[in-house]
Parts: sequence; structure tokens; C-alpha cells
Amino acid sequence: MNKKMSGKLSNRLSENISGWLILAPSIILFTFYIWEPMIYSLVLSVHETKGFRMERFVGLQNYIDVLKDNVFHQALINTFFYVIWSLIIGFLVPIVVALIINEMVHLNSFFRFSIYFPNMVPGVAALVLWGFLFDPSEGGLLNAIRIKLGLQPSDWLQNPKLTIPLLIFIMTWKAAGSTALIYIARLQGINQELYEAACIDGAGIFRRIVHITLPELYSTARMLLIMQIIFVFQVLYEPLVLTGGGPNNASLSLMLLSYNYAFVDFVAGKSATVSVLVTLILMCLTFIYMKATKENNNV
Amino acid sequence: MSRLDSKTSGIINFLDLRKPSVKALYYILLFISCCIAFVCLAPPLWVFLSSLKNIKEFAQVPPTIIPHTFEPQKIITTWKTLNFTKYYINSFILVAGSVVCAIVFNGLAGYVISIIKPRGYRFVFNLILWSLMIPATINLVPIFKNIVALKLNNSYIPLWLSYGANAFYVLLFKNFFDEIPREIIEAAKIDGCPNLRLFYKIVMPLSVPIIMVVTIFSINASWSDFLLPYIVLKNRESYTVMIKIYEMSFGNTWMSADMKMLAVLYAILPPVVLVIFFQKYLTQGVVIGGLK
Repeated sequence: MNKKMSGKLSNRLSENISGWLILAPSIILFTFYIWEPMIYSLVLSVHETKGFRMERFVGLQNYIDVLKDNVFHQALINTFFYVIWSLIIGFLVPIVVALIINEMVHLNSFFRFSIYFPNMVPGVAALVLWGFLFDPSEGGLLNAIRIKLGLQPSDWLQNPKLTIPLLIFIMTWKAAGSTALIYIARLQGINQELYEAACIDGAGIFRRIVHITLPELYSTARMLLIMQIIFVFQVLYEPLVLTGGGPNNASLSLMLLSYNYAFVDFVAGKSATVSVLVTLILMCLTFIYMKATKENNNV
Repeated sequence: MSRLDSKTSGIINFLDLRKPSVKALYYILLFISCCIAFVCLAPPLWVFLSSLKNIKEFAQVPPTIIPHTFEPQKIITTWKTLNFTKYYINSFILVAGSVVCAIVFNGLAGYVISIIKPRGYRFVFNLILWSLMIPATINLVPIFKNIVALKLNNSYIPLWLSYGANAFYVLLFKNFFDEIPREIIEAAKIDGCPNLRLFYKIVMPLSVPIIMVVTIFSINASWSDFLLPYIVLKNRESYTVMIKIYEMSFGNTWMSADMKMLAVLYAILPPVVLVIFFQKYLTQGVVIGGLK
């Protein structure tokens, strides 16, 4: 009896040990790439730095400096504008596209392929590609079209009023397809009998959309909305590659500011400070997201 | 016509489509769909076609919207001039290592969390779930410092390994492994199968669909990866396609615009081929990924 017990115990122990041994490489990698850097960012943000080296503890001085900086204000406001424009331009597009494409009996798989196509274009390549189209000289395609139509060529991304909406347009072009596929999957999960019942009750197409389709999409849409906000809040590639944050900081985002502090000005402390601030804002947004998905699970 | 008569799924059904007004609406929507497809496909297509114009037409201002000349041999001559074989090989090296790391390390983590469950595993799992919410770019500076501290800059190793710490892939694996019937695993354990062998002899063969999804995701991600490679790989010889494209477009201006356009095309081509071959898994992956 006793022997059996201890055998079971050692079995359990060896199971635990081998479990942790198998998990160890992943723990090391997560520590190296995610957990330690997070803590290090916090530490870095309260130190004066020279390049990437910490010089001395300065408390909240970096935070005070950053929060007082006009460039930070500009970046913060811009980042919120990115989010707002992405909701105006980007949020409804995938829903509408999914609704339309899902109804098509002709060329259905061709349409699915085409809406997903921009997603396959690697980020930097897509941005360079749109750079050609938005070329502000007369050599750009969109300006060529404007000239054909008898209009003046536009500055496009060099126009501070247009730069954020256009960057969001490019992001939407790239990302809307995969989001639309998610909605299409959801649309196909709707019980067809609901529509049939509505038909019998004499509900027209419009009323079927309002009373059946949209409520069925609601939980998916709510979740994707928060995810989109979090995603756009971290916008970095687009202004980095296409405008460098210009013209005159009009498209500078918080993450680009953090990047510039670190890899252009080489003040790692301030860069970490901006990162920490962004993390804090995102944590608030994530909290909302968690709430939203939790409610989803209850439905 | 017969196609419309057999439409039974979706909001509009075949009965509606017998009304002329609804039929008209359907064709309007079909036209809109064509416009959507055009907006999605036209920009890369235009860049592709105009990069193949002859020099004279290319230099014309304003440019011709529909190209009149077509010189497909420029695809090959530009490839040779820019020495793109080298960048392709570099990118392939990056992708291959990243995929292996993404599957092995995240798969093992998912396996331990889902099946072995050693004492205290929940703590690690919560930490991993937490990192799901930490945006990757935010940690750039400390990651770079870590890499420099280990003298791994200018090497692919830190780039490969960065795919081994992906909370989202861990979660995908974990959720999939949760669905594997416990009887199979218990039976193997009673036969005295050690944990690691259980993983690659039994769990992995049962998990082909999720491995495909993670493979496609990580191929796509590492092929398009730009920022970390750009910061880590400072040696021109080890540039990947994305770094080369970025550098070409914004660094040296000696290069003609049609060459730059073709280089963009080279960057787009592999993912397109990938999707055409694995379309089924990809749609599945997008949906799994989006509705985590």
C-alpha cells in the first residue's frame, strides 16, 4: 500500500518535472521577448539614458518632460485622429462588403479572393505601392487621373489635412478583406430558417437585414471594433514608411514618436516613457475589450 | 438565370429574385462587387503593368493610365540587376526558421498547458494571456538591448526565436489540443509513453489543421516582417526582401522608378502563390484568428 502511494507520488512528481522542462524553452523566450522587456521599459522610463545605457535614476522626470513636450501633444492628438478616422472609414466597410459579397451567386469565389488579396501584400510593399499612386508630382497615377478630368494635381499625403485620412484609407484597403471574411463566416452561420420565417411573415429585404442580420452580427462587430481601435492606436508602419510623420508632424503617431526617440534621437528613456504611456492607454482599452467579450460569452 | 433561381442562402432568396425590382437590385449589387474587386486588385496590377512599359512611355508626364507598351523581359533583367536572388534566399532563411520556431515552441507550450498541466502551470498561462495584450512594437527598445547584450545583432537567430514567443499561437494550439479526446492520451500514458514522444507521435499528427494555420500565419508574418529585421540586420549581405524594398524606396535615388515597382512586385509574389495554394486553410485561419 505504502509502496503504491509513493510510486504514485513520484510518478506525479516526474510528470511535473518533465512538464516544466518542456515548458522551459517557451518561458525563456517569453521572458526574453515580452516579460523582461516590459519591466525593463518601466525601469528605463525612470532613468536618464545615454544611447541605450542607463545613467542615473531621475524619477518621473522623463514623464514630466514628455508630457510637457508639444510634439507629444501633437502625437497624442494625431493618434486619436487616426482612431476616429479608422472608425469613419474603416469600420463599416468590411460589414458592407461582407453583406454584399455574401449575397452573390455569381463569381463568389473570385470576389472572396479579390477582397483578401490586399491582405497578402506585405506591409512595406503595400505602402511603397500606394506611395507610387499618391505621388504628389504629376507622375503619380491619381494625379494623372485628376489631370485627365481637368483638375489640378493634389498634394495627397503632403497635405496635412489629408494625410491621416489617406493613411487610414490605405490601412483599410489592406485590412478590410480579412475582417470581411470573418463577417462572411458569421453570416453563413445564421440559421436560414430565421429568414424563411421572416419571409412568411412578409418582412421585406430591408427589414430582414435590420431585424435578423444586424443583431446576429452585433457581438462580432462589437469585438472587432475594440480590436480595431487597439490595433490602430499602435499605428507605426504607415507614417514611418510613407510620410516619416510629416508634413510638419501632421501624421506623427505615438508609436512613431517612441521609435524616433529611440532610433533617431537615441534617448531610450523618453522612448520607454512613451511606450509605457501607450501601454497604459491600451490597458484601459483592453479592459473594455475584456468586458465586451465576457458579455459575448454569456449571450 | 438558373443560378438566381436556386439561391436559397443569404438574405435575398430565389422568391425575392422573381420580382424585377429585386432582380435589378441584385445586379446593382453585382456591379458594386465588381467595383470592390477592382479597387482591391487594380493598384498592384497598375504598378505591375506600368513597370513593364518601355522607358520612353515610362518617362512620360503625365503617365499613361492604360499602358501602351509591354516589355515582360524587364521582369528578368531587373531581377538580375538588383540581385534579388540573394534577398529571396535571405527571406526564405528567415521564414523557414521562424515557422519552425513558431510551431515547436508555441506548440510545446500549448501542449504542456493543455495536456500535462504540471503544478503551477496556470500562473504561466495567465502571464502568456497577459502578453497577448501587450503590443509587440512597444517592447522594441528593450528587445533590441537584449539582442545586443547577447551579441546576436546581425544574425537571424533572434528573429527566428521571436516567433517562438507568440501568445496568440500558444492560445491557438492550446484551444485545439483541448479538443483532443483524453482517452487517446491516457492510453498512451498507460503504455508508458514519455511526454515528449507523446507530443510528436500522437498530439502533433492529430493537429495537422492547426499546424497548417500557424504555418501560414507565420510564413506570412515573417515574410512581411520589417521593423525588427531592419533594426537587427545592419549588414547589407543579410538584408531581407522587405528591408531591401524599404531601403530602395527611401534610401538611394539612383534607382529608376520602374525598377522599384518591379521590386515591389517580387515582394508580393510569394504570398500570392501561398494563398492560391492554401486558400482553404487561409480562410479557415482568418476566421479562427479573428474570432479568438
